[in-house]
Amino acid sequence: MDSDEEYVAAVDRDSSPEVFTDDEDLGGRRSRGKKSGSSGPAAADGGYSWEDRYKRPWDIVKDEDEAGQSLENVIQTMIENRKKKIMKNPTTPFQRGIIRTLIVIIDGSLTMLEKDLRPNRFAMTLQLLQEFIVEFFDQNPISQLGIVMMRNGVSNLVSEVNGLPQYHIDKLRLLRSRQHNRFEPKGDPLLQNSLEMARAMLKYNFGTNMDDNKNSKEVLILFGALFTSDPGDIHKTIDNLIKDEIKVKIIGLSAQVSICQQIANKTNNLSSRTTGANSSSGSNYSVIMNETHYRELLMDCVVPLPVAATEKRSTVGVPLIKMGFPLKVLPPISASNNTVNLDLPVLCACHPTNGSLESKDAVTIGAESSTSIIGYQCPQCRSRVCHLPTICPTCGLMLILSTHLARSYHHLVPLREYKEVPAADHYESTHCYGCLLKFPEAGGPDGPLRASSRYRCPTCARDFCIDCDVFVHETLHNCPGCESRSGK
Amino acid sequence: MPLQMRNGNESHFMDAIADRVVTDFGHPETFTDDPSLLTVILDLNPLGWYNIRNRTTVKEVTKSLIVFMNAHLSLNNSNRVAFLTASPSGARFLYPNTMSDQKDTANTLVNRGMYRQFRIVDETVLLELNNEFQAVAQTELTDYKSTVSGALSLALTYTHRMLTLDESISTTTASAISTSTNVASNSSAAGAGSTGASNLISMKSRILVVSPDDNDDIRYIPIMNSIFAAQKMKVSIDVVKLGSKDVSYLQQAADATNGVYLHVQNPEGLIQVLSTAYFIEPSLRPLVVLPTNSNVNYRASCFVTGKSIDLGFVCSVCLCIMSIIPDLGKCPTCQSEFDPNILSQLRRSPAVLPRKKRKVDPPNGTPAA
Ligand SMILES: [Zn+2]
Ligand SMILES: [Zn+2]
Ligand SMILES: [Zn+2]
Ligand SMILES: [Zn+2]
Ligand SMILES: [Zn+2]
Repeated sequence: MDSDEEYVAAVDRDSSPEVFTDDEDLGGRRSRGKKSGSSGPAAADGGYSWEDRYKRPWDIVKDEDEAGQSLENVIQTMIENRKKKIMKNPTTPFQRGIIRTLIVIIDGSLTMLEKDLRPNRFAMTLQLLQEFIVEFFDQNPISQLGIVMMRNGVSNLVSEVNGLPQYHIDKLRLLRSRQHNRFEPKGDPLLQNSLEMARAMLKYNFGTNMDDNKNSKEVLILFGALFTSDPGDIHKTIDNLIKDEIKVKIIGLSAQVSICQQIANKTNNLSSRTTGANSSSGSNYSVIMNETHYRELLMDCVVPLPVAATEKRSTVGVPLIKMGFPLKVLPPISASNNTVNLDLPVLCACHPTNGSLESKDAVTIGAESSTSIIGYQCPQCRSRVCHLPTICPTCGLMLILSTHLARSYHHLVPLREYKEVPAADHYESTHCYGCLLKFPEAGGPDGPLRASSRYRCPTCARDFCIDCDVFVHETLHNCPGCESRSGK
Repeated sequence: MPLQMRNGNESHFMDAIADRVVTDFGHPETFTDDPSLLTVILDLNPLGWYNIRNRTTVKEVTKSLIVFMNAHLSLNNSNRVAFLTASPSGARFLYPNTMSDQKDTANTLVNRGMYRQFRIVDETVLLELNNEFQAVAQTELTDYKSTVSGALSLALTYTHRMLTLDESISTTTASAISTSTNVASNSSAAGAGSTGASNLISMKSRILVVSPDDNDDIRYIPIMNSIFAAQKMKVSIDVVKLGSKDVSYLQQAADATNGVYLHVQNPEGLIQVLSTAYFIEPSLRPLVVLPTNSNVNYRASCFVTGKSIDLGFVCSVCLCIMSIIPDLGKCPTCQSEFDPNILSQLRRSPAVLPRKKRKVDPPNGTPAA
């Protein structure tokens, strides 16, 4: 094992005492994963969570009283923060390799019991991961995900590669509910086995009939330990990962580890060894500072990786995928006969082993009585499958709901930002166009307003309140004003 | 350390994982008397209404809708309604109405003795509907594309406000504080698994779309965005489809949001249908088999020809849908070049898999079945 040969130069801004852990044969140093720009409010005033002063909620309120008219300021900053959150969505159309397969490797080793994240690292990781999954499938509608856990010197499969968010969430929930007895973090982590397992899982993404290089293959490691106990040479594994074009991203929970940096750099085509601090905005290896930072780093992984310019030229072109949009076949209920019979058995092509011994580990999700007899019919071969998106088990056609595809169209045509209306003595609009909320009037008893509270769409010139602004840009992705106009 | 993957230990693990946690399923939250918001969208497409003039009129349908809204209001004192129209003059709110909120003057449209809440709603809707007709009369009808997407967007922004904001706060500044503090307290609590916004009042919500329009030619992306947003907010979109045929985008809207889609061919009995099939409260939806009378067609619309298709080609960069392989080998939307190998593979007509060589198989004889 040679991962301990080099240390990454630690960037320690506030000269805190160096933490030097000597676990087994590997040392690690804390280094600040300095991320310019994207640091949230907590990261800005905080640092490591263990360096923080204890904050009481009423302290924040006290500050307001001292600084005269600061209530206004506080509100202003709150509003600005929300605006900033919107800005994070790039307004320029951006091409992304949207079909992704991601394997999340979580650390289940003893170090995950540390309580620097509350209640402990493991519980927090599972909690955040659950949010991550929801967000991931939101933004990457036809992508798939799988989860592997490294625990006690073994890599365990938590959930198979699958496109159903609920499946993964249920698996994680099970893991969470048993984290205190059977799946309590234990033993050592091992990166090599887990990476090999992830590699094997990624090999069969989107069925075997698809070419390997058609979609983006990614691994995300949430690594709590400062060492790895591998059975063989991890550098061979890294070489294999590079060969398979698998990109690895790592989020460290305690300190920077040289081998992680190497894995992240090499698999992401970064030839020069850059430290976590100065690698570009989409840093592939970062170490968390506190809970908020952890959440932020994790949520950064939701955004699809940009298709790098160099990468696009090297490959011949992007794949064109044939897809089917199936018919949803509903159970036959006729209103004419009074007794509605729902127990008609229907076979599906995707679960031929249902009820047999092998199907024991397949957790049946969504087992409500009504959905189990609803099927989707492949438009090409008319086989029936029971959930989407999937690959038709009979003819290999990719089956998808058109609504799944549509989820990502807002990446394509981002909505223009609303502009704040400057404060004035008179406004044309009295109510928010979207939600009919009454705007504050200009001629109030306190004289003119400091801020107009109106945000105007540059295309249709309708005014919206801040809540609608955020909602429209983050959730709806349609401008209600523009859509409400007739004609083109 | 032994290299141990996908073997005994793991299957042991999987067994444990596979055990069902009883509390995971089948416990819809306790039934409370949460107020509920009903947003009605009436599609005033002139052509659509003209086509069904022998069966029903806007007037008849509006009557039924008003009865339906009143019934909804009478269920719970805090229930709310909103009424929107999508017409050639644009989509807009008829109720609540920002103009006529104040004037509660003498009005003879509705019986004065009526329960006040009913009267306010009914009067406003009828008055504004008249105004809307006049506006439509003055609008040119050339090149009209349905504004249902706009009405849906408006319904969702309004619903968003009703779901998340406390009613009593009436100015934007104040509401900004309240939501910001909500967000702050949410993130500091950091537990309990709550990913949704914390509701001050827990309101339920659904949208009812009434449309006579048979045209599938719609603004595809905005409609899809609205469906997706409604899905995320857990707002059901119910659809009453008048007219002569099913429209797949409305079917999809209802199906994706756990809503009711019915093609009502005999609109004379509309009030009967409304008060039965469409009266299922959102909280009850998981428990009942929703009424339906058609299979849902999940056809997508081709970006190039605008036709709706069930088998197509999708660009893997931008996910735009094409019914044909573009001649230039380039995505018409994002301009990325397609992989020529894959193109030729796809162009090759019916891909017949090479027969696996088996010794027993006669080379070209009839299969020994
Ligand atoms: Zn099945
Ligand atoms: Zn098929
Ligand atoms: Zn608003
Ligand atoms: Zn606009
Ligand atoms: Zn494209």
